[in-house]
Amino acid sequence: MEKYKIKNIAGHLAKAFLSNPLTMILAVAILGLGYISLEVMPREEDPQIQVSGGSVIVAIPGATPQEITNVIIKPLERRIREIKGVEHVYGTAMNNVGMINVQYLIGQNREESNLKLYDKVMQNMDQLPTGTMPPLIKPFDIDIDIPILTVAFYKLEDHHDMDTISLYKTIREIQQNINALENVSKTTLKGVKRPQFNVLVDLDKLSAFHISLGQVAQAIKSISGNAPMIDTPTPEGKLVVFGMRNAIDDIDDLKDLIIAQYMDSPIYLKSIASIEYSYDIQKYDSSQIVYQKGFEDKVHKYHEHHEGAEHNKIEFRDAGDQITMTVSKLKGTNAVIIAQKAIEELNRSKEELRKHGVGFIVTRNYGIRANEAVNELVHHLVLTIAIIALILVPFLGWRESLVVTIAVPMILATTLFLAMITDQTINRITLFAFLLSLGLIVDDAIIVIENIHRRLHMPDAKDKTFNEIIIEATDEIGPSTNIATIAIMLTMIPMAFVGGMMGQFMKPIPLNVPVALGVSLFVAYVFAPYLARKLIKYEKAGEHH
Amino acid sequence: MEKLILSILKNPRKKLFVILIVLASMGGAVMMIPTKLVLAKMLPGKSANTYTIYIDTATNASIEETQKVTTCVVERLKKEKEITDMEVYLGQGAPLDYAGLVKGSALKSLKNQAEIVINLTDKHHRDEPSYMLVHRLRPEIQKGCGSLTPNTSIRFTEMPSGPPTLATIVVELYAKSDKLLRRASVQVSDILGQTEGLVDIDIMNDDLYTKYDILPDKEKVIRSGLGVDQVNQIIYLAFQGMPVAVKNTQNQQDQVPIFVRLNNETRTVAFDSKEALEVKLSSLRLMNQMGMMVPLSEVMILKESESSPTIYRKNLKKMVTVTAECDMVSQVYPLLEARDRMINQLSVDYEVRKVEGINTYMFDLELKDKKTGEELLVRWDGEMKVSLDTFRDLGGAFIAALVLMFLLMVVYYKSFALSGIVLAGSFLSIIGVIVGHWVTDKIQLYFTETNFFLTATSLIGFISLMGISARSSLLLIDFSRSLISEKGMEKKAAIAHATATRAKPIMLTAVAIILGSLLLATDPIFGGLGIALIFGSMAATLVSLFFIPVLMDNTKAMLPDDYCFDEDMPAKSTWCTLTENIGELFYLRRKEECE
Repeated sequence: MEKYKIKNIAGHLAKAFLSNPLTMILAVAILGLGYISLEVMPREEDPQIQVSGGSVIVAIPGATPQEITNVIIKPLERRIREIKGVEHVYGTAMNNVGMINVQYLIGQNREESNLKLYDKVMQNMDQLPTGTMPPLIKPFDIDIDIPILTVAFYKLEDHHDMDTISLYKTIREIQQNINALENVSKTTLKGVKRPQFNVLVDLDKLSAFHISLGQVAQAIKSISGNAPMIDTPTPEGKLVVFGMRNAIDDIDDLKDLIIAQYMDSPIYLKSIASIEYSYDIQKYDSSQIVYQKGFEDKVHKYHEHHEGAEHNKIEFRDAGDQITMTVSKLKGTNAVIIAQKAIEELNRSKEELRKHGVGFIVTRNYGIRANEAVNELVHHLVLTIAIIALILVPFLGWRESLVVTIAVPMILATTLFLAMITDQTINRITLFAFLLSLGLIVDDAIIVIENIHRRLHMPDAKDKTFNEIIIEATDEIGPSTNIATIAIMLTMIPMAFVGGMMGQFMKPIPLNVPVALGVSLFVAYVFAPYLARKLIKYEKAGEHH
Repeated sequence: MEKLILSILKNPRKKLFVILIVLASMGGAVMMIPTKLVLAKMLPGKSANTYTIYIDTATNASIEETQKVTTCVVERLKKEKEITDMEVYLGQGAPLDYAGLVKGSALKSLKNQAEIVINLTDKHHRDEPSYMLVHRLRPEIQKGCGSLTPNTSIRFTEMPSGPPTLATIVVELYAKSDKLLRRASVQVSDILGQTEGLVDIDIMNDDLYTKYDILPDKEKVIRSGLGVDQVNQIIYLAFQGMPVAVKNTQNQQDQVPIFVRLNNETRTVAFDSKEALEVKLSSLRLMNQMGMMVPLSEVMILKESESSPTIYRKNLKKMVTVTAECDMVSQVYPLLEARDRMINQLSVDYEVRKVEGINTYMFDLELKDKKTGEELLVRWDGEMKVSLDTFRDLGGAFIAALVLMFLLMVVYYKSFALSGIVLAGSFLSIIGVIVGHWVTDKIQLYFTETNFFLTATSLIGFISLMGISARSSLLLIDFSRSLISEKGMEKKAAIAHATATRAKPIMLTAVAIILGSLLLATDPIFGGLGIALIFGSMAATLVSLFFIPVLMDNTKAMLPDDYCFDEDMPAKSTWCTLTENIGELFYLRRKEECE
């Protein structure tokens, strides 16, 4: 019997690892790394699309849209078109304000694009017409602009003394705490009403007392100045510190302000205007919340409440004004963990808030959504592997099918680990890429195992050792398996060059499927023969029949 | 199995029959797309746990009017038991999400703008998907609340299943003249409104209304010892109000502004008319340098004028955008219908010309006003443009994949014919992909009355299928070749034997893929991919097992290089005469040799 000559890399790999004790360690290490990657990698629902852009806002008080178009928008548009990588320039000319929105081609580097835009506007500052306010450049930043968590705070039903301003003050403390959490980039409050003294002047009384509105404004302005502390030394060289207190200390000081003299009697501010300490009435934006009773705690008791709600009649509560706190995360961090920590922080202050008469509802949680999406798909993945394993049993026998079933997680683990070290996130599309590649990657292992299986039952099997048969079987299908796998890898690669939003969105598929396929070849040649040797019972075919 | 293949190979009529069946089903399947048996769409809708309602009232509406609309919407939604909570954001956008980012939600700051975020119960425990909910509520709410104030638009924004766009259908109108733009935009939005399946139609343009200009009489202003600046400031202070000072309180370390304005009773103007405003302004008096009170009406003249609407521009050209959403239908067909309607109805006023050439702007129309000769460009953007771009790019990727694979095969086999066979085999899985979509569409229509679309993910599935079926063909060819060269088997017998032996792993692979894709097929977005893989690999298996052997039998390249023709003359004549399709195309030199 002449010695079989190994022709293909498949055979070499199989031979090198077949009886090497390190193979086992390598296998365990790969599975471990894969599991760690699955836990550690940042999770998202959808992959992030690199959208770069920004707006330039230029104000000229008193200018009409037509004027703004001619003096601001048109010249600025032309300048911005000079920037490389700009896809669209949108100009909006309103009364008093001109705005230019710049949209870069999808996939342009965000930091660079922002810099280019800033640079271009700064270079052309000298061309702005007189009377223009300094331009405001606001780049888009998806990570910071799109909050992963929003929480609505509202007044509880039985606390009527809680007003919008004390709501704001209570929440401001919590905002500070949440902003201090690790990897939280920005928190904002929406629907906030800030405290303010409102002096609402009665026009009829003004005319009656012969006072002009300008006088009122002047009078208030003149007594509300703040001066720094003054110090002066005593002869002994000690310092005496003194200073002017703000003349207005509370609302009564304002009320008793003398505006003018009329017929020898002073006119107080309170006699021509109503003065109140309330919120900034000039800002018209506000936000309200309405919630269905029984769903306040949906974060924790989602399902039970839902079951219960089916029987009761639908009852909503108008909770009136609310303040929404938004929480954004830093780029590349794990939304799941951040959202969870923020909610823990909120729950810690829950009792405290309740005492103040404040309730809250989590109105958006991308962390949970991402986690659910990822977990659901991981579940699908496991289920699919199990189904494939089961279906292989009648065709190959359960030991052979076990080999394939062990090979698949190893391939996925390696791919996942490679994805982690190349800074990808784990999202729906990544997992779909895995589901898609599942059918492809089991193939290599199936072919190797099937060939080993076939060779074991061939008449010449009895002349060879088990190891020889395995190596030969692997080597035999090497060339065609290689070429077929490379062919599939080649079909997926051009997809990486698909442009636009959709191309970015689908990117995890061309990134991960070819990698998974390449790994599947390696696993099929290294671990499948090894596992076959360990798992498959070898009976000399001749003796058996 | 082996006998069946052999009998087909031995009988030229049976071979022809197999080829005809394949070609016919191929043609039939491809025809399903233009005949709308299978509908195309970029991405299908997905059920979500939240959606947003955008509300825009008339440009000159007050915050109270906008609030009236939001209150009405919220009241109507209170009947829905699947809604857990609703947040109303008046005069501002809701916290930004991906859709809002593209739809300009962050820039909302006007009195006529509002957004309502609706949170629903978890989608896994809810029978009605969010898009059905929107579908059901949309007409009711638009009818009930849209008429409360004039020019109100209420739009429902669902979470996009893929990348977001401004709207599903975006019509951009470009022209130089404002009047033409305004007129054409109304016409276009009417046409979109007539089209079935299109909802939430909105013109992104300010409404025109009457405003009043105060013209200071310069001479009188100076003579009465006032300044124009002072007049401006006092008017602003009186009606808009401003913080004139800040104070630091002892007990509260905040700067509290002191805000001055007329009180609500004396600030209001009785009617929206010039006279009423004049009366109000005359009661406002200013103090001049000499300490005398001068009524405002003395130094100014009031004039009515038209509001100056916002001007929108895109890429240096003036533009008005009309947007529409699709209600549970693919955007392709309503768009084509609306475009046909446009060509018909607009040709009354304009000369309509289609834009020539095939690119992703190929649906654009050029209009020329018959009276004035002004030109207008109607451009289709939005999801349609993104779809066309994506399908174009994916198509390009597909062709690139074909070329790469072909080159690889040529390098491997050193034969064009065999490479052609592999390619043909993998291309034919399209039969399964299209028929699969048709079948699924019918099944889904029967159960849930929603269409199943051919989407971008189906195309991805098709591309990956090519690789899979190429692998089957490859294994067959390799095995048959080694049987012929090493075992010296006769060609037909070798092919039949190879097909029979390889049938098991090929079917096993197909079964693995089909099972692997079953869960994929239930996903709203990747359903297309799943269906493509399931039906495509079925088709690919059939093609590999029956059609590929026929093709293999028809090429001489199956034989090893040193296999000389002189030893088998009759067989040679069969090969030479039967190398129809691919062999004839690619293998001219070998053919000459053999004749």
